[in-house]
Amino acid sequence: MTARPVRYRRYALAVLAAAAVLTIAIVAFARPGRPTPASFPSLVPAVAPASWLHLTLPDGTAVLSYPPSLQQISGDTDAVSAARLGPGGGIQLYLNATPRQGTENLAHWAAFRLALLRSDDAASAREVAAAERVKFRGGTGSCVIDAYVTRIGAHQYQEIACLVQGRQSASVIVAAAPAATWAEERPLLFQAVAAYLVR
Amino acid sequence: MSFTLIRSAAGVALLAVLAAGCGTAATGHSAVSKPAGAAHSAAPEPAAPLGPRQSPPAPARVTASPSAPATAPSQPADSIPQGNGGDHDPDNNGGPSDGDGNI
Repeated sequence: MTARPVRYRRYALAVLAAAAVLTIAIVAFARPGRPTPASFPSLVPAVAPASWLHLTLPDGTAVLSYPPSLQQISGDTDAVSAARLGPGGGIQLYLNATPRQGTENLAHWAAFRLALLRSDDAASAREVAAAERVKFRGGTGSCVIDAYVTRIGAHQYQEIACLVQGRQSASVIVAAAPAATWAEERPLLFQAVAAYLVR
Repeated sequence: MSFTLIRSAAGVALLAVLAAGCGTAATGHSAVSKPAGAAHSAAPEPAAPLGPRQSPPAPARVTASPSAPATAPSQPADSIPQGNGGDHDPDNNGGPSDGDGNI
């Protein structure tokens, strides 16, 4: 008489235990871990095409090369910049080289750059990829690819920014484009970064 | 005997609920820690970001082209004056950030 209810209870217990194990397994597998950092694209130093123009830093420590579709624009007196402007004057491509001015160094460049963006002119910034010991013409650098949103206008940009150590001094090269066109503009921007010459 | 079985089943079920709760909480925390601009949709083309040069021109070896005048947006709370402030860089006008060390 009592054997059947006891058997049912054992079945119920088994079902409950199985459900519990299944739930734990589902939660464990569905839980996202830390996102895998994107791999940094290869950057091979190379001389710029013959048609490109060149801007030398005022202190003579680096040369920024840019394609003829860009034009030099104003900026800091110790830096050089070039940009391709859209019909409304908006920046479609942006290149900048600046001598090292702060406490940035090769070991913590990515963190420094992101902190600088957030404290300066970006409402938010996130790292996409980073690399150290990147070879440049005349030196070695640390690079970060990041995306940020400006405080003014909420413009979304993506950039590659590298701190490059030459024999005599260090400088920063930035190559940026609106996030919406980053993917298509990236090869040209990377070409400009790869052509960056430090002394 | 049967009461023990029921208690055991209840215990297992409670453990499962707790485990599921912990997993959900961790997921939420992970999402909050990514503050990217993903919430923003298509970016409008940046307005004329370049201000007039007020300092002597850099002795670059390529002739500079005149830049577009900037409109003056409202001044946000910032360590660096915006709205064509600071060093009049594009990044003080909603343009891309340059490579300076927070100047």
